[in-house]
Amino acid sequence: MKHSFIDRYANLDSPLHLLDARTKIVGFTALIAAALSIPTGSAGGFFSFFFLTAILAGISQVPLQYVVGRTLLILPFVLLAGLAAPWRGEEGWSWLIALLMRAALCLLMLVLLTNTTRFVELLRGLRKLGCPKILVVNLSFLYRYLFVLSDEVMRMRQARDSRRVGRAGVFAEVKTTGAMLGTLLIRSFERADHMYQAMLSRGFAGEFPVTAPRRFSWLDLGFVCVVALFITAALYYWSPARA
Amino acid sequence: MTDYAVRITRLNYSYPDGTRALENIDCDVAAGERVALVGPSGAGKSTLLLHLNGILRGPGTIRIMGTTIAEGDLRVIRKQVGIVFQDPNDQLFCPTVFEDVAFGPLNLGIPPGEIGRRVEKALIDVRLDHSYASRSAHHLSHGERKRVAMASVLVMEPAILALDEPSSNLDPGTRRHLIELIAALPVTLILGTHDLEMVLELCPRTVVMDRGKIEADGETSRLLADSSLMAKHNLEVPLSLRGRRS
Repeated sequence: MKHSFIDRYANLDSPLHLLDARTKIVGFTALIAAALSIPTGSAGGFFSFFFLTAILAGISQVPLQYVVGRTLLILPFVLLAGLAAPWRGEEGWSWLIALLMRAALCLLMLVLLTNTTRFVELLRGLRKLGCPKILVVNLSFLYRYLFVLSDEVMRMRQARDSRRVGRAGVFAEVKTTGAMLGTLLIRSFERADHMYQAMLSRGFAGEFPVTAPRRFSWLDLGFVCVVALFITAALYYWSPARA
Repeated sequence: MTDYAVRITRLNYSYPDGTRALENIDCDVAAGERVALVGPSGAGKSTLLLHLNGILRGPGTIRIMGTTIAEGDLRVIRKQVGIVFQDPNDQLFCPTVFEDVAFGPLNLGIPPGEIGRRVEKALIDVRLDHSYASRSAHHLSHGERKRVAMASVLVMEPAILALDEPSSNLDPGTRRHLIELIAALPVTLILGTHDLEMVLELCPRTVVMDRGKIEADGETSRLLADSSLMAKHNLEVPLSLRGRRS
């Protein structure tokens, strides 16, 4: 079965796709940090960031509908943080709106980052930037085995549905789902065991091997300069000295 | 004097729950020999294969190229013995096909410059072109995953190749190509399988296992044509031998 989750559009070849993963990780992280710092009520600040994000989305060739759709999917979770709004008095609503806009910007940037960088490259970039190897390796396995597990779940659901005749009631459904989850957990343990045996069979001795890194190009330098200039301008615009 | 690639002496193994999986296994495989391990499900074929590179360690002695596993360097043994598991999903755990195939050589300390060449050759050997190198295993069909799993072991250039049900779930074309590939490899071959027609094509010698014991060991065409032996161990005479069965 074919899947793609996090990096569905990561195989396009827009200018953003061609950038080194490290450049994008650093660049987008800086933009996210700056977006989180936009003062509440700064309409100009929010507008300029949304405008920049729209330009980046356009350059990336990732369908806008997908980018916005993924963002809206995760945004409701942010609303949980906004539950404190009524207790903030008159400022509450402007605070909530600012929170939602900051969250939307961060999510848009993240969706762009993950859909212009193959997950493999993203992990490699994180490793090169100093992220602990064990974390990167675990994320790598998680990504790979999410697909294997989702295939297992699909097969289990097909098997269940093939034998579902008539109505069994809510309690029976819950019981079946519970049994399926338990079975999935056990199968995951067994697979982990087999996988470890396969790794040992190919000479694994505890350290994960590393392959060659990508090189920077003028495009990377250009992106870093644009992001740095934008953030500098934004910080100047918000600075207390100017107010 | 015969050069032995594998010498197994009085090997026993029980699972943690106490089930006896192997019982007093004695088996020698000469260098360059091609031996099939056949038997009903649960006979202990896979368990025996996992002993060949020290993954499982039951009481008894196993010598690989003259060195016992207990005393030898496991890195050397795992370079000499390549095992291809039945389920390719257990063997393909890297983000791309290239990295999966390169995993073994990188662990062996092969220089990076040489790895690219080896990976490309291994993929060509299993009839996958270079466009597969950057793809992820979860985007491949079962047959393609099996081929990548095979490539990931062949790339280590093992002297002894142990295959666990290599033709299971393969379409006829892919199965045929696999048989041709294995036939051309200059290795000592130990083939655990239910595919008796493939055994006839590839292995002059067959060992029949059942309930953890070796029940018969001899010439493939004689053993597989023995209908009472086959029936006794839940096997059957291959179609191509049915006119000749004894």
